Amino acid sequence: MIWRKTLRELWLIGLAYVVILEALAIPVLLLWPEIYADLQRSTLFKSLGVDFIKRIGDAVSGRDENLAYINWCATMLLFRSCNLVATAAAVLIGVGLFARERENNTLEFLLARPVSRGSILWQKFWPSLLVVTVPIFVVNASAIPWSWSIELDLPRWELFLGSLHAAVFATAVLLLTTWASIALRVQAHVAAVVGAFIVMQLGVYMTQRIRSYSLFRLVDFDWYGPILCGNTPAWQMFDPFRGPGNTTYLLLACAAFYALSWRALRRTEP
Amino acid sequence: MIDVRALRKRYGDRDVLRGLDLSMERGQLLGLIGPNGAGKSTLLRTLVGLVQRTSGDVQLFGLDPAHAALQIRRRTSYLPGETGVYQQLRGAAFLDFALGFYPRHDEALKAELLDAFALPLDAKVRSYSAGMKQKIALVATLVPDVDLYLLDEPDRALDASVRFFLRDVLQRMKQAGRTILLSSHHLSEVETLADRLEFLLDGALVSPERVQAARRQLRRRPRVRLREGHSLPTGARLVREEPDGMLVIETDDDAVAWLRHAPDGAVESAEIGVDRLEDLYQLLLAGGQQETSS
Repeated sequence: MIWRKTLRELWLIGLAYVVILEALAIPVLLLWPEIYADLQRSTLFKSLGVDFIKRIGDAVSGRDENLAYINWCATMLLFRSCNLVATAAAVLIGVGLFARERENNTLEFLLARPVSRGSILWQKFWPSLLVVTVPIFVVNASAIPWSWSIELDLPRWELFLGSLHAAVFATAVLLLTTWASIALRVQAHVAAVVGAFIVMQLGVYMTQRIRSYSLFRLVDFDWYGPILCGNTPAWQMFDPFRGPGNTTYLLLACAAFYALSWRALRRTEP
Repeated sequence: MIDVRALRKRYGDRDVLRGLDLSMERGQLLGLIGPNGAGKSTLLRTLVGLVQRTSGDVQLFGLDPAHAALQIRRRTSYLPGETGVYQQLRGAAFLDFALGFYPRHDEALKAELLDAFALPLDAKVRSYSAGMKQKIALVATLVPDVDLYLLDEPDRALDASVRFFLRDVLQRMKQAGRTILLSSHHLSEVETLADRLEFLLDGALVSPERVQAARRQLRRRPRVRLREGHSLPTGARLVREEPDGMLVIETDDDAVAWLRHAPDGAVESAEIGVDRLEDLYQLLLAGGQQETSS
């Protein structure tokens, strides 16, 4: 019922989001041969004083072209596109989930229906989750046939693991925004607060000595590169004791934000 | 069916409901009258479990909305005071959505309401006028077959003919044994419909004796228009002059008798026995007597 309406409202955003992700992916994949040649000639990456850009430069201009291509995909498909577009989509969708209902006077109507608040949250959340995460898997999977056209290949399982991690990050952003959407009531306030938080995290990430304090450390090239190259097996993604376990940290954040959203919705009054 | 004892609701340092007592039997139609900000919407929201009370006891069907709101809402249909309709949906889709939460519907009533309201169900709700939005919200509220209907100003934004039609519909629902609690600003219309009227003022119900006294006093307050050159005949005093030139006066005795004894030609027109809510609220707020003595 509620999920069907939510899905009906969001499918167009989902479609636009797939188109944007795909439009960003196709040129960087198809132009790889020329880019690779340029990268090998250029010393720009190596001369830059930013540590993570240097590491990206080294990884994408190595002698093994297939490995360099995989690192290129980790950078462009996951580090760039997913962090940028998936985060934007998650915020865009999350902002309106409850704050728009309040602004349109429909929250009282919805809360007065014979359905629990937990069910309302769940029925609004999972269609949003689908719209935010499915495009990540679809567009990253489409990179495989695009790669064939330039006679290269991508590791399927590792690409799936990278996409899974990106999807979990987008889910965490979606749930953070959903919580803010319930607690802050006005869409503009939600967008301002969540937007400021993300911009601040990005600013911290761009500052060399304090980078490790940024949440974007969990989804940067240093994380995606080893996953796609097969150096971070799945158990290390999930095991915070014997591996980095970044995916588990994000899953825990998702659980915490979902619980906070549920608590806020349970307490909300029209 | 509804049993409310010493209900209090406080927002910050403001008491919206102050020790309110209310009971209602199955099959009754209770009219709740009160000015804006009296606490009518808060009371209805508390009954349906949308708002948590600060203190007091509330029972609907023997259930406490603070703990069993879902069970209560399954047996209740609630029309919020502010029309909440999904603007992006077409009328038909909105009704499917809204009615889909309830297992049983009164299909005959649905057909009758849709026929009378003549709503363009293929159009998006955002293209509807305020009155049409209220009408579709009414269909979504009245059609579910439930035990209790809580209607917060159902006649808002409706023109007179639709209000009369709605009154007939509610009358028939009452005769069919439905239980209805409605709040309204239209005293005369609710009065002809309701089994019982309750006045809510400043977060508490006003006693029937106090309402009766105020209404008796109000019947001595006709609105009159004097012919030019005539002053107010004796036996009455001016309460106020209205923007349309009518004078609200208070007669010492019965207003009809005063009018009968007024000098020929002094009074051009008069309204007697019309319970104007603003005047009633004013009298109730002033304690019923203070204004007369002043």
